[in-house]
Amino acid sequence: MPDADASFDVTPVSAPPTKRRGRVRSIGVIAVLVIAIGALLSQGLLHSLNYFETINQAMSSRAKLGTQTFRLEGVVVSHTIDRTSSGAKFEMRGGRGEDVFVNAHGLLPQLFQADIPVVVEGHFLSETSNDFYATQILVKHTASYIAQHPNRVKAPNGTVR
Amino acid sequence: MIKQLTQRLLGPVTLVLLALTLWLGLWVTPPAKTQGNLARLLYVHPAIAWVALYVSFGTAVIASALYLWRRTRSVVMDRIAYCAMEVSTVFIVLTLITGSIWGRPTWGVWWAWDARLTSTAILGLFEFAYLALRRANDDPELRARRSAVFAIIAAINVPIIHFSVDWWNTLHQGATVFTEDGNFLVHGSMLWTLFISLFGFTLLFFWLLRSRYRLEVLRDQKSQVSLDEALAQRRREGVH
Repeated sequence: MPDADASFDVTPVSAPPTKRRGRVRSIGVIAVLVIAIGALLSQGLLHSLNYFETINQAMSSRAKLGTQTFRLEGVVVSHTIDRTSSGAKFEMRGGRGEDVFVNAHGLLPQLFQADIPVVVEGHFLSETSNDFYATQILVKHTASYIAQHPNRVKAPNGTVR
Repeated sequence: MIKQLTQRLLGPVTLVLLALTLWLGLWVTPPAKTQGNLARLLYVHPAIAWVALYVSFGTAVIASALYLWRRTRSVVMDRIAYCAMEVSTVFIVLTLITGSIWGRPTWGVWWAWDARLTSTAILGLFEFAYLALRRANDDPELRARRSAVFAIIAAINVPIIHFSVDWWNTLHQGATVFTEDGNFLVHGSMLWTLFISLFGFTLLFFWLLRSRYRLEVLRDQKSQVSLDEALAQRRREGVH
């Protein structure tokens, strides 16, 4: 008769995971999550819930803003764009018609053009002036999607004019 | 009969709609006035974000709530929640990637810490945390309950993302399809291509969800089979 013990597996098996171990892991996961979200919030949302100030908002808190750096939004006034070697100079208009003169240094986005809303990051040159020195230009396009040539007509020969 | 037909047609219809979106988006629709050809991302990015935020994440949250409710509690709900959340994670990553690709040429930057982008990234983190949480517990019931509660907590973020463009000044554009007074902001063929893409990507989600769900069922069966085998082996050992 063969020895029964020889085929018997006696290697100890690890204890089944307990609820306690699961809880520790869950707490670990949630701790990592809280830290990550905290980092994101401090980076983005809490730092400033508004990504920029509109010209109207900036004008009403002009004294408080002084010459500190912030982001300012307005619409590029047509025929005022002067492209320079390091960026562009242009006028930017707010909703109530106030103008700010922007001297921007940095890469111009592909869509930068007249009559488009832009966000510039920088500061006013003095406590009272409307001259704004910017180090970055971002284009804030609208949500309107209209065909490039909505009035094109088809000629009898099939070509588009 | 209808169920069988739907299941059989889901894949082909999805593929046809996505192919149609591709064809309309690249060849039929005109370039847009301001954005030119960049506007063609309109047929990809909003649809992916729609699936990530509302369709798939919504499915996961509803299934989680149904799991927590005693009368509808079942392993099916837990599986749906898990599988939908996994698909949603893929779509939220794609949302951030396609948005970034769109942002670079239009805004001028790949990323901006504005409210819409940041809150979307936070939802992505919540989803990764959900998947990590599922791996942290071995007890199926405990895992299902904890992850369901977590999914519902994470859902607070969805209205924040949705309304972020109205509540705060964001670089991200406002709502795409309608203005507040109900007018369409997207015109002509661009509008219905957008709708086809929304429908196509929604069906893609359900197709992916069904495949992922089947895989989950097979996995459960496999672990059950190996458990039964292990038990049978121990029993045989005891017979000697």
